[in-house]
Amino acid sequence: MVALVVAVVAFVIARPGDDDDGDGSQQAAQTTTTQTETGTADGAAETQTEAEPAPPPKPEISRIRVRGGTVVGGVERVQAAKGDTVRIVVTSDAPDEIHLHGYDIYENAAPGRPARFVFRADIEGIFEIESHVAEDAGKDPLLARLVVEPS
Amino acid sequence: MIPLAHGFVVRSDLPIPEWLFGWAAAMVLVVSFVALAILWPDPRLQDEGWRPLPRGVGRWLTSRPVEILCGAIGVFLLGLVVYSGLRGTQTATANFATTFIYVIFWLGLVPASVLLGDVFKAFNPWRAIGRAVAWIARIAARGPLPAPLAYPRWLGRWPAAAGIFAFAALELVASNGDKPENIAIATLIYSALTFVAMALYGIETWIERGEAFSVYFNLFSRLSPIETRDGVVGYRKPLSGLPALEALPGTVPLLAVMIGSVTFDGAAEAPLWTGIAPDISSFFQDVGLTPQTALELTFLIGLVASILLVYGFYRLGVIGARSVGGGFTTGRLAGAFIHSIVPIALAYVAAHYLTLLLIQGQAISFLASDPLGDGADLFGTANTQIDYGVIGATATWYWQVGFVVVGHVIALTLAHDRALAIYDNARLAVRSQYWMLAIMVGFTSLALWLLSQANA
Repeated sequence: MVALVVAVVAFVIARPGDDDDGDGSQQAAQTTTTQTETGTADGAAETQTEAEPAPPPKPEISRIRVRGGTVVGGVERVQAAKGDTVRIVVTSDAPDEIHLHGYDIYENAAPGRPARFVFRADIEGIFEIESHVAEDAGKDPLLARLVVEPS
Repeated sequence: MIPLAHGFVVRSDLPIPEWLFGWAAAMVLVVSFVALAILWPDPRLQDEGWRPLPRGVGRWLTSRPVEILCGAIGVFLLGLVVYSGLRGTQTATANFATTFIYVIFWLGLVPASVLLGDVFKAFNPWRAIGRAVAWIARIAARGPLPAPLAYPRWLGRWPAAAGIFAFAALELVASNGDKPENIAIATLIYSALTFVAMALYGIETWIERGEAFSVYFNLFSRLSPIETRDGVVGYRKPLSGLPALEALPGTVPLLAVMIGSVTFDGAAEAPLWTGIAPDISSFFQDVGLTPQTALELTFLIGLVASILLVYGFYRLGVIGARSVGGGFTTGRLAGAFIHSIVPIALAYVAAHYLTLLLIQGQAISFLASDPLGDGADLFGTANTQIDYGVIGATATWYWQVGFVVVGHVIALTLAHDRALAIYDNARLAVRSQYWMLAIMVGFTSLALWLLSQANA
């Protein structure tokens, strides 16, 4: 009997709450919001922060902005299902080489010439997108994570 | 956050989905109660029934030439790790040292031990060097060497627990723990300590109790049906090697370090930890530490807290089991059941590191050809690439859950058998098992939770 109680308690504690799911989708929605806006780091577009999420039509493009060696809006997740065509655009205010791990795609970025990634997401898992300039400088190179879920 | 040693993990696992988590947890509960109902009423696993491998194979495997060959391979690999770590590129993924130590050695030897027995003992470079030096010394001295010091009983497996803790700290806490140079230096320091300890306490004694990796892999090899006994390789009943584990001092802490470090590695990716870690870290920066030191200290706290949590939880279950009666001390009970935690430790390692071994392990193919990362191509394999799609996310989830559930069942079985052996009253044995069951379900739930939280 004791075991049953303990077991059930353990199960209930260990079970991830339904909130997690909510958080996840909310986060995804926020991601798309920041993606559709022009997120200038200097706060010029501050008035638009609460704008409606308005899911963008396909093809979806994930935008990552690097200013002064850091990612505007922090490290985000680029979500995809296996088999999707993923489009990622990385703009940078300094020359950089951007590396998508696992898929092993390298693209160069420069001011005014963003790095463009277009590929089929055929490997499941979580992969890091990194700046090689930051890495060489001994800084945290992580720009974003690509999350490919089973379709 | 500053990249930690796991920076060389290219593909991380997706968290197991909620529905699978629910099914797995339910299965664990059902299996547990079914097990209690149908398991045997008399102890069965306490006798190993060991027999040598047929046709002299068992003796051939331990013959002098095979022994020397295996030892030489071990010494060569030790040398290669140090050499490539010091002389090769400092890019972790392109240097032989990092992948070899963290993936091939640390992870690859786990399934090898479970399937084939204590293989590391044959390849152990420190043991091989120690024996070679002792052999030369005996010739030089023209007689037997002075007897080593008596190994203090209280020391038990404590040195091994400390060694595994240090390794986990290098891998999970140190900011530059994956830097090849640091791995080479750590290897040199550890080798020096091992040689001194072997000289003091005798080679075989230290290998059996103090040398962290020997003790670690030997624990897993006890699940194997293959065992070397008196210089002959033989086989025994599966699982029967674990009940023979002598609960020396330090054994419970060693298991706590093993499970606790995997727990921390998993929890470090969970929102629970990524939420509080920056706060702890910024506190340390406020008191004047550099960002890197503050982060390392934060992770050290996380690692120690995870280990203490695992240790405390086990002690709590043992105290519960003691309360049913039978006249045992807590220490005696903690030692009597610790062997049943080994399959759970294995399940933690297997579930957590499955994809790292399968994916990053492939890198050894090109690293063997180009160990220094300087463009060499010794075996013509320098241009091979890692196939990141070798195992899909869904298959990974099923394997992970499978490992956890099977580990749980083996643990229950071992604990049940031990309870029947030590309690002379069958009713007390069963009642003590409720507590053991609670411990197992707790550990298993934690394992599943970690899988569901990874990278969430």
